[in-house]
Amino acid sequence: MTKKTSRREFIMRSAAVAAGSFVIPQIIPSTALGMGGKASPANRIVMATIGTGSQGTSDMKDFLKLKGQVQFVALCDVDKKHLENAKSIVDKENNNNDCRIYGDFRELLEKEKLDAVLIALPDHWHGIIYTAAVNHKLNVYGEKPICRTIKDGQTIVSAVKKNNIIWQTGSWQRSLFNFRRGAELAINGRVGKVKYVEVGLPDGGRGIGTPPVMDVPPELNWEMWLGPALKVPYRGVSHWDWRWILDYSGGQMTDWAGHHIDIANWGTGLEHTGPVEIAGRGVYPPEGLYNAPVEYDFLCKYANGIEMRVANASRLPHRMGTTWYGDHGWVHVDRGDVLTASDPNILKEVIGDNEIHLYKSENHYQNFIDCIRSGKETIAPVEVAYRAISVALLGEIAMTTGQTIKWDPEKEIIIDNPRAGRLLSRPYRAPWTLPTV
Amino acid sequence: MDFANCLKKKIYKMKKQYFIYIVLAALIALTFSCKKETGYKTLIITGQNNHDWQTSSPILKKILDETGLFTCEIMTTPEKGGDMSAFKPDFSHYKLVVIDYNGDSWSDRTNSAFLEYVSNGGGVVIYHAADNSFPGWKEYNEMIGLGGWGDRNEKAGPYIYYRHDSLIVDNSPGRGGNHGKRREYIVRTRITDHPITKGLPVRWMHGNDELYSELRGPAKNMQILATAFADSAAGGGTMRDEPMLMTITFGKGRIFHTTMGHADKDGGPAMQCAGFIVTLQRGAEWAVTGDVTQKVPFDFPTAAAVVIRPDFKEISFEDALENIKTYEIGKSTKNLLCIQHHITDLAGDEKGLLDAEKALVEVLLNEKTSIEAKKLLLRELSWIGTDYSVNAIKDLTKKNELKDEADFALARLQSGK
Repeated sequence: MTKKTSRREFIMRSAAVAAGSFVIPQIIPSTALGMGGKASPANRIVMATIGTGSQGTSDMKDFLKLKGQVQFVALCDVDKKHLENAKSIVDKENNNNDCRIYGDFRELLEKEKLDAVLIALPDHWHGIIYTAAVNHKLNVYGEKPICRTIKDGQTIVSAVKKNNIIWQTGSWQRSLFNFRRGAELAINGRVGKVKYVEVGLPDGGRGIGTPPVMDVPPELNWEMWLGPALKVPYRGVSHWDWRWILDYSGGQMTDWAGHHIDIANWGTGLEHTGPVEIAGRGVYPPEGLYNAPVEYDFLCKYANGIEMRVANASRLPHRMGTTWYGDHGWVHVDRGDVLTASDPNILKEVIGDNEIHLYKSENHYQNFIDCIRSGKETIAPVEVAYRAISVALLGEIAMTTGQTIKWDPEKEIIIDNPRAGRLLSRPYRAPWTLPTV
Repeated sequence: MDFANCLKKKIYKMKKQYFIYIVLAALIALTFSCKKETGYKTLIITGQNNHDWQTSSPILKKILDETGLFTCEIMTTPEKGGDMSAFKPDFSHYKLVVIDYNGDSWSDRTNSAFLEYVSNGGGVVIYHAADNSFPGWKEYNEMIGLGGWGDRNEKAGPYIYYRHDSLIVDNSPGRGGNHGKRREYIVRTRITDHPITKGLPVRWMHGNDELYSELRGPAKNMQILATAFADSAAGGGTMRDEPMLMTITFGKGRIFHTTMGHADKDGGPAMQCAGFIVTLQRGAEWAVTGDVTQKVPFDFPTAAAVVIRPDFKEISFEDALENIKTYEIGKSTKNLLCIQHHITDLAGDEKGLLDAEKALVEVLLNEKTSIEAKKLLLRELSWIGTDYSVNAIKDLTKKNELKDEADFALARLQSGK
């Protein structure tokens, strides 16, 4: 494999030189480096996007808002319409027609000289494509949840460690004030000792019944869309709604794990470990193509005695979001700047200099770019993302087997239950295999 | 007791030498008859209604008998304007009384007997329009908690409903009882730890039905287990979360009140809805014993879709295995879910799981089983299987049309080792 760290090293070096004689890499405002408010071409982060559907396009637009610090040069998708749309956005930004498009990520990874890649794909592709990109020594902005199975996640984490690249997970709630503040109040004991955390994720939606086999739209490469998943005929469901089919996703529960479970871990100090016992129940649609659970409710016990309940919103008093319950109160965070507490005075608490101050980022995309430049860890690194999604994946296994799952968060294995152990992975359809690290 | 007396008489008539045989035969007979007769004796009262009681009452009987917990008989009252003194059920004979009646007042004697029955601990199910009945009978209105129509107004009691998750007691004047156009709607569980609702989804889609709203009544000793949002889009909507399932206690008696289940021909989607059926079965058991021993079935609906049971029965694992043989893409996946649910229920039961595995393998190897069905079964066997499956699946890897799924199953079965 060719060594591809050169551009990144160059960027870090030039940043240090421009800043004078700082030993520790400093973050330099990109506007100081170039003309017209844009970063100089040499200092711009050169990126590609793999997966240019709604989420990939939305992320790409957020990167483009960073005033020329990022330049997209290539795109990859299995849907030509997606590619066309994304290319028009990029070309307009670059003021040319040069953005290259690919239908196969392998070709893109081989041909393009990049600093970083934005990847926003259905979950069943994450294991292969994240690992392949990291093996190419690319810095990755990867959408959550970072894996469909625990085994995929373990592989991605070790690839990142081995290749020493910068990884940012699309768990952008971390870069919002209310989530950080809530987590900081919880971790600094402002509700007392936290013993119990509640995580509310969305209820499942309506199904679509059992649609018949349909013609594949001409723009879509269905075989490549399926990739490592078992081959099934096209039935009108691919983009977006893959989330409700278990071959590709675990439904709302796994989709949102990378948000509210991640925040729960952050404010409870559980970012680098996992539960030791998981038990719960899922409610599955009795009929139809969509088979992901529409309701779920499981309880995780941690070695330090903390318990975390994850359930669909309608089952919980605070509905959506994360709620930390301590000895003398609770604090709750959710989207829409929600930050509430059992006693409003809790929210006025000041966190002292000697207390825990959580990583602060005010722009999730900027944080990734800054870290590529500085070499520092991002606000949502890969192992933390893996620990967040594994809570949901272990919940899924508990629900599928109907058993209490015992998990060793150090060895990352299920104890004394070979049947459940098999659910830690989903074999890939030939010729696809998980890349070796 | 009747049976014991009867047995005694027969025994006295027998010659001594046959005594032992008779006792044995009687024990056998008793065993069988027990199976039949242990069901809680249940009386379904019907005969007058502004609804199709000729359809609904036999269905209610079928639904309750199906559980094996109840033995139902239907008693019809005289026709409208008939001589009500002839209607005098012996309530003491029953553990449960189901009211599918909305008509003329009963005789005072029957009213008192019913009151005595409930006060002393008798169970009652109030079904749909039964909460329209007897607007002037004070105690009956206490038993139903909330009622509608029959010129009910503020004198009947407050409107009770939820708004934004708060229980509202609304004394404003106005009519009692309304419903918009019939539609499918989401039923929302409000009390999740009640024996009737425990383990049920908190939100589930009900089959096309009337959505009773603006009910009002004394609401004494009443709990609202579930509500449904009466949106204005469907005509007559109140924009309130209206009570759908309620429990009431009256004296020592327990009453389960369901406002759902408007009967169409063959029951229709309102009565065939698995959610209606199962909540009725659970509510009826609670009314008799104060507890629920029935398992939540695999086909209880979710918010995703209505689930219809055309014959009011839950499919068994055996039926599902038989039915799944003809599965094709685009057809119902209900049988697969039944199989998955059965497997989950067997958690930790090694023998049970092995039996299930063998049954699945048998269908997998059956030549008449469709390829699509085999693909589904291979996914299940991929995690529950033992060496028994491995041997069967190995052969299937040679079949082109099943190779991917067979490889998938084998790879996973071996990943656990």
